[in-house]
Amino acid sequence: MISTSIFISAAISLVLLLLLTTSREDVEENAKGGSPGPGWRDSRDALQRPELVFRIFSREDREFILHMRSPRLQRIYQEERRKVALHWVQRTSREVSKIMRAHRLLSRESHNLDVGAEAKLFVQYLRLQLTCGLLVLLIKTFGPHALSDLAAHAGELYQRLGRALPDVVAANRIAASEDTATH
Amino acid sequence: MSDLGKLVTMSNAYDDLLRRTLSGIQCDLARLIYLASTRDYNSGMYHHEGLAARYGPESARVALRAAHKDIFYRLVALSLEELVTELDTYVRISREAPTGLIHAWQELEPYRVAVPMEVDSTMVQLFLSNIRLALEVLRFRQEQSRAYPSASSLLPLLGL
Repeated sequence: MISTSIFISAAISLVLLLLLTTSREDVEENAKGGSPGPGWRDSRDALQRPELVFRIFSREDREFILHMRSPRLQRIYQEERRKVALHWVQRTSREVSKIMRAHRLLSRESHNLDVGAEAKLFVQYLRLQLTCGLLVLLIKTFGPHALSDLAAHAGELYQRLGRALPDVVAANRIAASEDTATH
Repeated sequence: MSDLGKLVTMSNAYDDLLRRTLSGIQCDLARLIYLASTRDYNSGMYHHEGLAARYGPESARVALRAAHKDIFYRLVALSLEELVTELDTYVRISREAPTGLIHAWQELEPYRVAVPMEVDSTMVQLFLSNIRLALEVLRFRQEQSRAYPSASSLLPLLGL
């Protein structure tokens, strides 16, 4: 129980640290004079392109590289995709922060704020930032295909468990019947 | 000229560019490089003599910029395998020695200047990354064909 809470608090601390790093990068970028002109339009374009995300995390590309059977190519591929995936996640996080900051400034001037809607929006924002933080952590630690790999691993474990379960049930039944016979 | 008139002229310039110039170029990567070459390095402005003479400099610029972006988006949307094929076609039509071209592209990264302005930065990252990977794949294939010359002649038959 104690080890679980230590693990959870460590994970939360890591995510918070990553969020802090992302927001600091954001501040630095603004300080450099990131113009809200074309960049603003650019960011909206990016958020409207789910096919871009599909391309970055494409299994097809990964299989193509695996098919080459070259450890060097696989290593380069992992490194290249990791960089692009991190760029996308961190940028998404920064853009959402910008949107929220703009919204906060507008809200300050508003006289009839819907507290419920604002709270809901804030929770959604936190969830998105948390997801981005977790994604950064996963991509940095396990690579760009971490989530699909974990899902595949879970599926494999599930199948193994499924195969092992009837044997265990049968063994238990035999043990139980032997117990009854001896008593 | 009215706004509608300007739009029609720009649209005609774009169609003309696709029909007369770009259709004669064999692959999208070569089209992208051609369009980037019509852009001034210092000002970022596009220029094409023929188009400007027929439709005016402004319509020609808009047409070139739009075509440049469209082809870039098409290339970004390609799978890695398709991009390798695209790069392979480009190497073949360039009439340069493949080894030399791949080496020069890996060293100098000239494809960086082929990226249009004001496009999504993640798309740019993905495009540059995919070109680097495609170059590595071509280099790997060349090394394989040098190491196993007889086996490599069978690769096209196997669809590889």
